[in-house]
Formats: sequence, structure tokens, C-alpha cells
Amino acid sequence: MKHQLLTILSFLMLSFAGAQNLTITGVVTEADTGFPIPGVNIILKNTSTGTVTDFDGNFSLANVPSGSTLVFSYVGFISQEVVVTSAEPLAIQLATDVAQLDEVVVIGYGTQRKKEVTGAVGIVSSETIEELKPTRIEQALQGQVAGVQISSNSGSPGSSSTISIRGISTNGDSRPLILVDGNVIEDLSVINPNDIETVNVLKDATAGIYGVRAANGVILITTKSGRKEMPLTIEYNAYVGLQETTREIPALNATEYALLVNEAFAANGESLQFPNVSELGQGTNWQNEVFQTAPVFNHAITVKGGKEKSTYAFGQSFLTQDGIVGLKKANFTRFTKRGSYSLDFLDNFKFNAGLIFTNTNRRALPESGLGSVLFNALNNDPTLNVRENDGSFSISEGLGNEVINPIAQIDNTFNRSVVNKLSGNASLSYNFLDHFTAQSNIQFNYSHVKSTTFNPIAFFGSGKVFNRDRNELVIFNNYFRDYTFDAFLKYERLFNDTHNVKVLLGTSVFKTTGEFSGRVGRDFVGNSVAEASLDGAGEIQNIYPNGNATFDSRLLSYFARVQYDYKGKYLISGVIRRDGSTKFGPENQFGYFPSGSIGWVASDESFLEDSSVFNFLKFRSSYGILGNDRIGDYRFVSILNGEGTYVFDDELFFGIATGVISNPEIRWEKQKAFDVGFDARFLNNKLDVTADYFKRTTEDLLFSPQVSGILGASSPGSAAPTINAGTVENKGFEFAIGYSDQVNDNFKFSVKYNLTSIDNEVLLVSAQGGFIAAGGFGVGQDPPARMEAGFPIGYFRGFKTDGIFQNQAEVDSYPTLNSQVQPGDLRFVDINNDGVINDDDKTNIGDPIPDFTMGLNLTFDYKNFDFGAYAFASVGNEIVRNYERNQPLTNRSIYYLDRWTGEGTSNTFPRVTSGANSNGLFSDFFVEDGSFVRLQNVQLGYSFSEKALERMGFDKFRIYISGSNLFTLTEYRGYDPTTSTGEAIGGGIDYGFYPNPRTFLLGINVKL
Amino acid sequence: MKKLNIKFFAILLLVAFSCSDDFVNVDSPFENSEDFFNSEEDYQSALIGAYDPLQSTYLNVLLGEIASDNTLAGGESAIDVPGIQEVDDMIHTPINQQLRDIWSWMYGGVNRTNFIMEFKDKTDFPNKNAVLAQTRFLRAYYYFELVKWFGDVPFKVDARIQFGDQFSIPRTPKAEVYAQIEEDLIFAAANLPYIQPQTGRITKGAAQALLGKAYLYQNKFTQAATVLEDLINNGPHDLIADYSTMFENDNENNIESVFEVQYTDLEGAGFGCLQCSEGNVAVGFNGIRNYTGPLFESGFSFNVPTQEVVDAFEPGDVRLETAILDIDQWAADTGATFSIGFEHTGYFNRKYISRQGDLNTGDANLTNPNNYRSIRFADVLLMAAEALNRGGIDDGRAQLYLNRVRTRAMLPEVMATGTTLTNAIYQERRVELVGEGHHFFDLVRTGRAAAEIDGFQAGKHELFPIPSIEIQLAGNQWEQNPGY
Repeated sequence: MKHQLLTILSFLMLSFAGAQNLTITGVVTEADTGFPIPGVNIILKNTSTGTVTDFDGNFSLANVPSGSTLVFSYVGFISQEVVVTSAEPLAIQLATDVAQLDEVVVIGYGTQRKKEVTGAVGIVSSETIEELKPTRIEQALQGQVAGVQISSNSGSPGSSSTISIRGISTNGDSRPLILVDGNVIEDLSVINPNDIETVNVLKDATAGIYGVRAANGVILITTKSGRKEMPLTIEYNAYVGLQETTREIPALNATEYALLVNEAFAANGESLQFPNVSELGQGTNWQNEVFQTAPVFNHAITVKGGKEKSTYAFGQSFLTQDGIVGLKKANFTRFTKRGSYSLDFLDNFKFNAGLIFTNTNRRALPESGLGSVLFNALNNDPTLNVRENDGSFSISEGLGNEVINPIAQIDNTFNRSVVNKLSGNASLSYNFLDHFTAQSNIQFNYSHVKSTTFNPIAFFGSGKVFNRDRNELVIFNNYFRDYTFDAFLKYERLFNDTHNVKVLLGTSVFKTTGEFSGRVGRDFVGNSVAEASLDGAGEIQNIYPNGNATFDSRLLSYFARVQYDYKGKYLISGVIRRDGSTKFGPENQFGYFPSGSIGWVASDESFLEDSSVFNFLKFRSSYGILGNDRIGDYRFVSILNGEGTYVFDDELFFGIATGVISNPEIRWEKQKAFDVGFDARFLNNKLDVTADYFKRTTEDLLFSPQVSGILGASSPGSAAPTINAGTVENKGFEFAIGYSDQVNDNFKFSVKYNLTSIDNEVLLVSAQGGFIAAGGFGVGQDPPARMEAGFPIGYFRGFKTDGIFQNQAEVDSYPTLNSQVQPGDLRFVDINNDGVINDDDKTNIGDPIPDFTMGLNLTFDYKNFDFGAYAFASVGNEIVRNYERNQPLTNRSIYYLDRWTGEGTSNTFPRVTSGANSNGLFSDFFVEDGSFVRLQNVQLGYSFSEKALERMGFDKFRIYISGSNLFTLTEYRGYDPTTSTGEAIGGGIDYGFYPNPRTFLLGINVKL
Repeated sequence: MKKLNIKFFAILLLVAFSCSDDFVNVDSPFENSEDFFNSEEDYQSALIGAYDPLQSTYLNVLLGEIASDNTLAGGESAIDVPGIQEVDDMIHTPINQQLRDIWSWMYGGVNRTNFIMEFKDKTDFPNKNAVLAQTRFLRAYYYFELVKWFGDVPFKVDARIQFGDQFSIPRTPKAEVYAQIEEDLIFAAANLPYIQPQTGRITKGAAQALLGKAYLYQNKFTQAATVLEDLINNGPHDLIADYSTMFENDNENNIESVFEVQYTDLEGAGFGCLQCSEGNVAVGFNGIRNYTGPLFESGFSFNVPTQEVVDAFEPGDVRLETAILDIDQWAADTGATFSIGFEHTGYFNRKYISRQGDLNTGDANLTNPNNYRSIRFADVLLMAAEALNRGGIDDGRAQLYLNRVRTRAMLPEVMATGTTLTNAIYQERRVELVGEGHHFFDLVRTGRAAAEIDGFQAGKHELFPIPSIEIQLAGNQWEQNPGY
């Protein structure tokens, strides 16, 4: 309304002013900083006449009729209109767009103004990424976006994280689809976080534009590019830092250990292992030996700019990070080079391209499992020295076949995995007949992964499973290629300034192929990694005797989207996608995925337009069916890729055998996703609230359950078929609130908080047996985690305990597992009250899914200082303590000092004995509360003032110090409650996870 | 302008919609099992695949021996592989991973043989009967194991058990299964030579021996005697003179070995797929715990012989030293060291514990190359003797065969007849074949198990339970074995 009035007014003025033309000059600056803004578009309203500001923000426009309106616009700033009546130079200050409602959101095959988005989209901006300094982009998502949960699989350099969006909806592969500039990227370690402009997370049914791959949510990452008319800018970012462990699990020292071992042996009537404990002292703290302070170093340079019709950006980065266990032996180094370029051949014919080359080099130690370095550090005998007097490593005799000297283990580990990856994209778009745009994009990835492992001859103690009598060199060369080709046609038209219609029609093909080859060489004369090359092998074997393994999977899709809004107030959109996937058989190859969403911008209604409370209020809802095809190839057809190897004449003969059992019936897994929510801003846009309720029901769950043994699925190289048989429901709330304010010229601050609740329940497992079990506990015990109707996915099933038997009378009067039970042992609860303790008494003793997750962000800017802090929390998840080997001679945590030693001494920690006992069976004794709050990042920066910058010749010069993972409040006794294998069934079992390091950084950001 | 416009649009459309639905029809790089068997080579390849599961019978041998009164479970502790511990103590239940492994692995073998049989008529070539003969022997071998362990079992021949079939295949009376075993072995014996150009291939002798054994398990003494004597008289096999060399790796596939499961140390293996190992996993399990010293290598101290079986050897029996390792004596003599595992008896199963001199390809405990002498000529002689004696056919010939075995063991000849002779044959079988996985099944089939094995309940423990999960996974159509 205002708009129109102004237009009319200017017309009127124009007519009065007659033919008087002016030359208007001036300068455009940022309202906040006073810096000039280059590249601001200045248009004489309702004409095509205009200009742009130069490097210094200056402009000049001739032949401007007096009384006409000039429109100043620039991305990220609120546009301004100025009526000119004289030739006096203008000083225009553009305010940054605080409300950011004009911010565009990438929604798949296009963008949308944030105001008009009807889906649940989470956004992480480049500022956030800059603040957090993640080495991997997942770290920037943790706690930042409601509904997105990140669990790092390990804290070792280069290791991956598991991302789950709105709960775990499938027991199979629950990773979201990740697209970097439209390009499918599975491994985010190859991306330099510095290169990222924004990360948009599509959390609800609007992700349905990605059809069969959308059920786990979609993450769209846009990399940085230049802007038109942007002067050459160079940014340099670097940091150097130190990392250390956040925790050592308190373990027994040598004396305590020896006494406890003696007690255990005495309890079983055996002779004492350490007749003289007085000389043992503290002994070796193996955790101290393996944990070290490790350096990390990163630098990145970006050059970008733009001309009238083109933009460009180039960047290069280098990251090297040592491990807090093993230093160089666990190093991760990443080198990236990237370039992007866009060119407008014509005003309506545009070209855009980008290329990223990444080289990563990773070395890794055994982790997270029986026999990993940390597992050994926790369980090795503290009375042993690291080395014997002759300099050789000490031998861990008799501690269980997997427990060895961890330092010797590090010393004997040699591996390297090198990834060379080239990713590119190019697109052409052509605008015609005013309202049509045709665009085609091609994206590709090519990568070569070479992994080399050298296993030297080594002896760690008799019978140790790591002993090696033959050295070997294992080399894998794996090649991966994929491309995505999209072509689509858009029609966008605003009718009568009220009816806004957008139609998208398109097609997409995706093809990914790979080839795996591997060879193992044995019996090298020298036993050193330096000398080992396959040429020197005494014997070479091909790991794929029947020819290199390959895969080829494809997707063929058609999609359509219609969006309509009435005056930007009533919004509605619908999507349909048809996907054909090579994962399914001829009858089920194609699937249709419809979804729709509606929105209502209530704040544009007349009754709220002048509201003093709401600056903005939008309600939105979406519903749709999304798919999942993340299963292995060719599961619908029986192919002969099993293992059929036998020996004749003392030589190996390679035959054929059936691979995975086929199921011609499999079809895509479908998820019905519902979302309702609102976005609101109050108090002059200072307070920002978003809330959502969601419910996602995944049906026809694809998984490989246990199947009858008579099918032969456990033959070498075979496996159970993939079937559709289950339903999982995730529902919950997301709530995000933010408050930001510029208090005065010197001080501004912001606080952001988000909360997600997730209620996960398995509704149906129709596989025979009614459950799927997975995960591992101890050695040779049943899988402890299950997916079963009526329980959260991956719940822990085991015995419930009720304290400890204090005396024989208690043992006698209570059902026990077997006759070995004695006073001091755990008392398992007879759940079904049938008078016997057996498998039927195992019950739900926890689950790894948090009830709530939260994130909190704080920033303050005071004069030249900036401060940021960020914390996240998880409440109500359980973790299984599984890093104790529980053998008579293995070390234990100090909690065993409080063990039961006689009636009334303890009701929590059972007796120690080297004899047979059932205390090691999986029970809630091993299940702990994994809730935590972690202060993830604190950062203090100082930016030099404008004056100082002028002297130095920089546009920006900032130095900062930052600390990551500073402290964690938790009752969990293990290393790190934030790590998990990320498996749907079997997640939350802690084999001695490599903790995420605490990191201190010193860095600079320079711009010129 | 307009021209370019239209051209561009046309090209775009062309590219965009030129992809037909065929784009997503991609053939696997591997052969499709329905389109295989187009050449002799295809049949031979599938046959190698059918031999492969023989190697997983290490578990049948290990667990079978532990089930008997010859050995205890051992291992690291009372909860080291609970499934093995329970079978040793005769407290096993339908929840037992090792029993499930035997069940599943043997059916894996059945399916691989039936795959060949399903397509047996597809392509003709001169050697086809030889391929089918080996296939049918293997099918008989796997079904025989299943019948021994579980009694009546789901049964299918000449077609794979496909996904979905598990709900409709009933447990078949073992007599029917035995009938097929006999038929398969008769075919195999008729179509295979006594001497194969490749060592490790199934021979006529192997088929005859297994057929005789299958008859004996059904108390079909006449048929057993006939086929076993045919083998004794017409086959190439003989006892080797020096029993002490029988189980050494440089004496594999010797003249006494009628059927031998082939293992090698040429390929690595891991705990994730024990049935995938090309080595003899049982040998590492049987090995001396944390051993350092000459001749032998370390292992997991399972399957440790009892004092009772040591005492079962007659004085002067030269086989004792070969069969049983007295570790304390050995340590005293050689300075070897070891550690004491669960249920340590001081004895190890010397026939099948790991020896030095192999390649120790990792994991060294799982890649021992010791072939399993599945059917030895001594076994054939004793089976023949038993059939002749128990069938009331000819005690004289029974004595003859028994005494061939005893003479080699430096023991006096037995001249008894009737049940005394029967018992002498039983006793001889026990000591001759100790550690080779036969004793439990010998006790069961001759009705002596309850008397000999602690905890053995007659009417229950003759058969092992069908894993309850397997019953569930097949739609609860199968009755559990009695007593479980």
C-alpha cells in the first residue's frame, strides 16, 4: 500500500517537475560500520536505467529526472528508495537486513525467500561456521539446528560423524542426503568448512523434491562464490592449536591392582599372583602413556571478486591435525583447492561452474573396539613398565588374548589412506519469454582412494591375537565416479501483483559407479614399512580373486513442483517426484513421492499489520511421503558373488557361490512425514522464535533381518536378504528462540537457544522372531541391542539388577542364574516371576536415544572485541560401558575399590574373583546415564579499528583465541558421552571411544 | 535471439527427456544364478563352491568331541563361548550360537549342492557325471551331519531352498533323509574313481566309506559290511605303519586317508566370519594357551582331554603319545611355558593342535593348515568289524579288521567274539579315533551315551535342540526335539 502510494507520488512529482534532469552523485556506506559498499545496484525506479557503486561506494548517474525515485539495493541489506529533487551528493547508508526475511533459502532446484518458506528448514550461516572453526562441517551443525543430532564416531583426526535428522527412522542407513552445490557428497571430510557459505537442512516433507533419497532429510550445502562488481578481495584465515584429552578414566594403580588381583585369585582358592605388593608403587599409568598433546594447524586463503557480468572465487586450504593418541600415527592432513566462476553470456543466458580438488591423507590406530589402543591402555597391567631394561616393549602375558601393550601396538601400526577427489559442477540457465527459465546442471565426483597397511612381524605375548609371524602389506585401490545431471524448466509469474505462481518441471539422472581392487603381499625380507613394496613380496595375493569388485547404481527421476502465494500471505506448494532406482526389481523400480505444504503469513493480515507485538508471524505445515533406497545393489536378484574357495593340491581354487539371498519383492521404504510449526519475530525483530511439531512414520522399513539358516545365508560371502518389514515412528517438538540487540554503538549481543525432543518407538517388526538384534557386548555374548515393537529402536536388552547378594541366605532364597552364584554377586531380577532366571528375564534397560537435545549460543560484541560461547546438551540417553575386559588379570577402573568384600560393604559393585561368575553378563550394571552438557566453544576476538587498518592496508584484521570442548558435565564414567558408532541398533555401546579432544586455538582472519 | 532461444530450449528438452526408463536397468557385473551353468567350467566353479562349506565342519568336529566324555570345553573362562561350555556340561538349550552355526553352515552346503542339482540338466559335457557324483557326495555329507546332530531335518533335494520356502518345508523323518544320503552315495561311488588326479577331490573310496558309515548309523549291518569290505578289498587304502606321523602336516592325504577335508594357511581369516576361513579353526581353538616352546604354537585351550580318556589307553599303546599331549611333562622336558585355561586338565588334543612351521597368516589361530582326516582307513576297518560283528555276519573277519588296527598300535590281538568283541571294537574306536570328533555320535548310536557322559539324559541328549530362533524364523512349524 505504502509502496503504491509512493509510486503514485513520484509520478505526480515527475509530471510537475517537467523535463528537468539532474546528475546524481553520492556514496553508499554500511550503516553499521560506515564502510563503503561496492556493487550496490542503483536503479531509477520503473525504468531500466541504473548504475552500480564503484570500489569506494561512489556512484554517479546522469539524466535523472528531478523528483524521480532511486532504488538502492544490495544483497543482505534493506533496500532504500530516495526521491531526488536536487543534484546534491547523496550519502546513503544501507542497514543490514536484521530480519533477514529476504534471505534466500535453498530448497532444492531453486531458492525461496525465507519469508515464503513453508517447510521446516534449518540454516547454518557462514558466520556460525567461522565462529566454530570446525575441522569438519558436521561439527558446525551440532547443537545449532533443532532436530539435527550429530554424534561423532570418534575423536580421532579425520574420523566421521553420524548425522541424524529428527530421530532415527530406519535401522539401515539413516544418513541424510548431502548435496554440495547439487553434488552428492557422502564423505564430508573432503570439504573445507571455510569454503561453505550456508548449510540448509530440509527436515520435513518439503525434502520430497528429492524423492527416494529424502527420507532421512536433506542437507544442502552452498559453497562461497564471488559477487558481481565486487572488487578483488583476499581473505586469509589461519589458526594453530593444541589438542589434549578431556578425560582419563581413573584406573587402579599398580599397588591397588595387585591387591585386587590377589583378592580375586584368593576368592577362587588360587595362589596369589603378587605375593609382594609393597614395592609396586604407582606403576605405569597406561593412559598417561598413550595420551599426548597434539598440534593442529590450518590455513586457508580465498580470493574472490566479480566484474559486470562475471564472478570468480579461488581458494586453497591446508589442514594438518595430529592425534591425541599416537600423534603422527593418527595424523589427518587435508589439502583443498577450489575455484568457481560465473558468467552472464547475455542478460538471460548464464553460466556457472565450480571445481574442487581435495587431497586427504589419514593415518589411524585401532580404535573403538576390543584390542584398540585405548581399550588396551585401560586394561593393561599397571605393574608392567612400558619398556624392559633392554629397551624392548614389555609383554602383557596372561591378560586375555586381545590385551597388549598399547605403546607397542602404536609402534607396530603403519597405515595410510590417501583420497584424491575431484568434484565439479557446471550449470547453464536461460531465461526466455519473460517468465521462463530453463536450466541444466551437471555435477560430478571422481575419487581415488588408496589405502596402504603394513603389518610387521610382531610379538606381543604368547597367544595374543595381534601376534604376526609373517609381515604383510595390504594395498587397496578403489575408484569412485558419479555424476548427477539435472535439467529443469521454471515458470515464475506474478499476476496482478497478487497471484504469485511458480512452476518447476524437471528431470534428474544420477549414476554412481565404483571399482575396488586390492592385493596383499607377504613375507618381506626387511621388516620395516620403509622397505615394503609389493615388488619385494615373497608372495602376492589378489583380494578379489574373481575379478575386481564393482558397483553401478543409478537413479532416474522426474519431478514437478507448483508454488502459489496470494500476496505473499497465503502460501501453498505441492511436489511430486517419480524416481526409478536400480536398487529395486522391475516391478518395484519406480516410486511416486508426493508432498505438499501450506503457509500463512499472519503478520501480513490487516489485524496484525500494525501489531506492536508481532513483527512477523507465519504458520506452516507440511505432509508428504518420502523414500529411502539406501540398501545394497542387486538385492532383488540372486547373483553369484559369494565366496566359494577350496583347496586342491594344496592350492586355493576359487569357485562361485550365491551371494546375498535375493528378495525380488523389495520396494522402497516410505516415510510419512508431518510437520506443523510457526516462525515469529517480536520486539522490533529482536526476538525470534521458531517451533515445530513433527511426526514421521517410516513404513516398509528395509532391512536384513535374521533369516532361517536353511536358506544358506550364513555361507561364506552370503547374507540375509533385504526385506520390507517394519514401522518406526519418531515424533517430537523443536523449539528455537533467539534474541539479538544492538544496545548502543559499542555493544551488541545475541542469545540463541534450541531444544528438540524426540520420542522414538518401533511399531512393528514383522520379520519372524519379531526383533532384530545387533551390537556387541563383552566377548561371545548375545547382541545387546534390539529393534522390537513397543520399544525405542536399538534399546538395550539385558538383565535388570537389584543390588548384590549380601549373604548365602539371600542367594538361597532368591532365584539365581546358576549354581555358581555366591554372596557378592549381582542379583538379577526375575522379571517374569517364574522362579528361574533365564533369557526370558532380560528386559529393556535403557536406550541410546536422548529424550531432549539442546544447544545454546551466546555472542557479545563490545567495541573491537567479540566474544562467543556455545554449549550443547543431551538428556536421557543411556550408554553401555563396554571398555572393560573383565579378565582376572586385566586392570579395572577405580570404582572397583568400592566392590563388595563382605556383607554390607557394597550393594553396587560385585565381588572380584578369578573363578566362574556371571557378573560379566550384560545387565544394567553396565548401563549408565549418558546425559551431558558440553561447553563446546568459547572464543574471544579482537578486530583492529578502521584507523589501524588503514595504516596496515587491510580491510579487516582480527585475532582470536578459542577453546573447544572445554568441559562436559556428565555422570557418565567413560571417555566421552558424545561419541557413538551411530548405528541404529548397537549405537551407544562404548568400547573405549576415542574422546573428542579439547582444543585451544590461536588464529587470525585477514581481509584485504 | 528468438532462434537461439528455441534451439537452446529444444536441445535442453532433448537431453533432459532422452533418458528412458531403461537407464535404471543395470545388469550386475556378477553372473545371475538363474542364467548360469552354460559350460563345464560353470559347473566346476559351482562345485568348488559346494566343497567350500566342508571347511566349516571344523565346528562339528570340535563341538562333537567336547560333547563326549573325551574332553572338556576349556577355553579362557567359564563364559568363554557359552555355547561350547553348555554342550560340554550337557546343559545346552535351544539358545546356542554354535549349534545354530552348525545348522546354518550345513544348510549352506546343502543349498550349494542343490544349486548344481537344480540345473543338472541344463548343459551337457563329457565329465558331467563326475561333477554330479562329487556334488551328491557333498550333499550326503552335509545332510549326514544334520541328521547326526538334529535328527529329522527340513529336507529338500535338487532345488535350492529359496527365500519364502522356509515356511513350508517340514522336518522330514531322518529315514527319508538317510534314503537320499544312500542314493547319493551309491551314485557317487559308481561314478568316481578310487584315485583322483587332484588331491582333495572326493573319491570312490570316500563315497563307499561314508555310505558304510551311514548304513552303520542306521544299524544296517549287512549293507554296511558289504560296502566297507568292498572298499577294504578293492580300494587303494591301507594303514600307514607309523601312527605318530598320521596327523602331521607333511603327511596329509596319505594312503590311510579315505576322505580328508582340505585346509590351507594361504589366506587370512578373522573372527567376523569363521566359516570363511580356509584354515582349520578348530586347531587354533584346541591349542595350548599362551604357549611358548618348541614344536607347537599357542591356541585357545578348548577341547582338553580328560584323565578318563587318557586312562582308557591300554599300557603300551603307542597311540597315546600321538593323541594326547601331557603338557606338564612336555614343559618339564623342553622348558616350554604356557598358561592355564579354564578346566585345565594338563592334556591337549595333540592330533589337532597348532604346530610350528606353517605360514601363520593372520589371524594365525584361525588359519592352521592341518587337514581334517574325516574318514581314515582305520575307521573303515573298525566300522567293517563292527558291522560284521553286530550284524552277526562274521566275527572272524571282524577280529581280522580290529586286529589290523591293534597290531599297528603295538597291542596284542583280540580273539574275543560276540558282545565281548563288540565292546572291544567300541573301546578300539574310542582310543584310535580320540580327538577326531566321532566318539559322542558312536556313544549315541550304540546306546551307551547315558552311561558314559555325565549329565546325559536318555531320550533327550541323543539329539541336539533345533535352535529356537530357527524354529521361529521358519514360522514355528517345526516341533522341538524331545526334552528341550
